[in-house]
Parts: sequence; C-alpha cells; structure tokens
Amino acid sequence: MIAAILFRGLVFALLWWVLAEGRADAWGLGVAAAMAATLASLWLLPPGRWRIGTLPLLRFLLFFLWNSLRGGLQVALMALRRWPGLRPAIQEISLALPPGAPRLLLLNALTLMPGTLGVRLSDDGKLQVHALDASLPVAAEVRTLEAHIARLFGVARGGMP
Amino acid sequence: MTGLEWPGLELSLALFLLANLVAALMAAERGPTAADRMLTALLFGSTGVGVLVLLAVAMRLPSLVDVALTLALLAAIAGIAFARRAWRGTSDD
Amino acid sequence: MIEFASAALLVIGAFFYFAGTVGLLRFPDIYTRLHALAKADNLGLGCVLAGLALRAETLATALKLLLIWPLALAASAAVAYAIAHRAETLGIAPWRGEEEP
Repeated sequence: MIAAILFRGLVFALLWWVLAEGRADAWGLGVAAAMAATLASLWLLPPGRWRIGTLPLLRFLLFFLWNSLRGGLQVALMALRRWPGLRPAIQEISLALPPGAPRLLLLNALTLMPGTLGVRLSDDGKLQVHALDASLPVAAEVRTLEAHIARLFGVARGGMP
Repeated sequence: MTGLEWPGLELSLALFLLANLVAALMAAERGPTAADRMLTALLFGSTGVGVLVLLAVAMRLPSLVDVALTLALLAAIAGIAFARRAWRGTSDD
Repeated sequence: MIEFASAALLVIGAFFYFAGTVGLLRFPDIYTRLHALAKADNLGLGCVLAGLALRAETLATALKLLLIWPLALAASAAVAYAIAHRAETLGIAPWRGEEEP
C-alpha cells in the first residue's frame, strides 16, 4: 500500500513536471496537484487488482506501436488503391481474457490493430469483430493481441486472476 | 530569392490538415445516415489536435500545445462517456 | 539530421491524415470508414507529434507533445467502438462487397 502511494505520487509529480515543461516556479501548486491526484486515484482505482510488470508493459507498448503502424499503413494503402479490395465481414470470437480492464484494453486496442474493429462485446466474452478484409487472418490477430494483454496483466488466459 | 517567404513546413501542413477536415466535414454533412455524421466526432479528435500542435510551432505559440492537450483530454472523456452511453443503450432505444 | 527526420515524420503524418480522409470519402459503409479514420488519422497524429517532439527545446516539452497521443488514441478508440456498436444496434448491415471489374 505504502509502495503504491509512493509510486503513484512519483508518477503524478513527473506528470506535473512534463505539463509545466520543466519550469520550477510552480512547484507549490504542483505538489498539491500531485497529492490530490494520488488521493483521487486511490479512491477510484484501489491498488492490488492487477499487477503490471515493467518488462511486459514495454513489450506490450512495442507490440502496440508496431501493429498500429501496420494497421495504419494497411488501411492507407487500401484507401489509395484504385480498387480498395475490401472484403468486409463480421466475425465472432470468444475471448478468454477475464472481464474488466483486460477485456476493455483489448476492445480499444483492437480498433487500432490491422484490419479489425470491435463492434460488440457481451458480458460472456463473445466479441463481434468487423474485419476490413475477411481473407486476412483476423482471428489470429485477435489471439496474438489477447496473448500480449494476458501477459501484460499477468493472468492466464481462461483463468480468473 | 524574391520577396516571398516560404511559409514553413508546419504552417503548410496545418493548412493541408485543415483542408482535409473541411473535405471530410462536407462529406459528412451530406452523409446518408446519422452514424456517418457521428464520424465528425472522431475527426475533431485527431485532425483538430494535429492542426493545433502544428500551429503551436508555426506561430511560435507554445500555449497552443496546452490547448491541444486539453482538447485531447476532453475528447477522451467525452469519448468514454459516449461509449458508456452506447453500451447501456443496447436494449432501451 | 534531426531536422530532416523531423520534417520526414511531419510529411508522413500528413500523408496518413490524407489517406484517412480518402478512405472516409471512398469506403462504402460506416464500418469501413471507421477503420480508415481510427487507424490512419491516429497514426498521422502520432507521426506529427513525434516529428515535433524531435525538435522540441526541452525534454519536458517533447514528453508533453507525446503525452497527447495516448489521450487522442483513447478518445478515438472509445468513440469508434461507440459508433460501431450503435450502428450495429440500429441494424445497419455491413457492406458485403461486390465483384471487382
């Protein structure tokens, strides 16, 4: 708990430093803002639900950056080609991730991944995905993203945390 | 060179993005469904922020970065509120 | 060198914005247009922000520019899902495709 408070306080102080563009003349306000933000975050998001390691976070960010680049490039080429070659379809995929933050992250990240768009996520983990080109391996893309998110949150897919 | 000054890459790109925004808005305005018009919400999030940060550099107005940051923050909050409403709205409308 | 990389990133960013708009105008239905806007425009914004951050005077200013990206991503991912979900709830069928000539 103490570690969580200190860590969050440090993160918010760093955020203040970035927002103030490194200027030192507003630190009084900054300390107050960082403390208020820490309190609010403890109230809204109590620590201990998910453990996110630094290394998995870094791996996820790299994966995310690379795939949003792929996704943007793919859709840009489709838009600019003479015949876009769209073969859209909606597919249903059963998620193995636990509900809550992991599923929410998957749903939102999916929109920026190559060729996929989340359309409906029901409580039992059934996800409807709209694919730009259904002849591409859509399910495999979703599975890969799912595996990365499972590793990020330190949960086994299918098991509860 | 002649008396004309090159307007600068940032300003040219900001104007280019603005032209994109106008073209997309005109398309949305005659869009076939209400959902098509909702796409403008997405447009303002990304294109608006892009124009603002480019102008911040082109005009040497660093406070425009704060405007862009606030716009992105508001867009995020509005977007999440919007998504939650759509989430609940599955059965009741 | 940094100046060149920065300019290149800005131009690439504008290219993705342009592609997003073209997709918005050319793609046949609401779902495919969402793909175009959400992916291409966000990548465009990311490139523009990275390009400007490269030549920022201080580290804090660069980080501040980069901080905008995740916020904009969260916004458009949430809005894109909301629109797709709403469209599906309203019974808007996705475009099924047609033969290429």
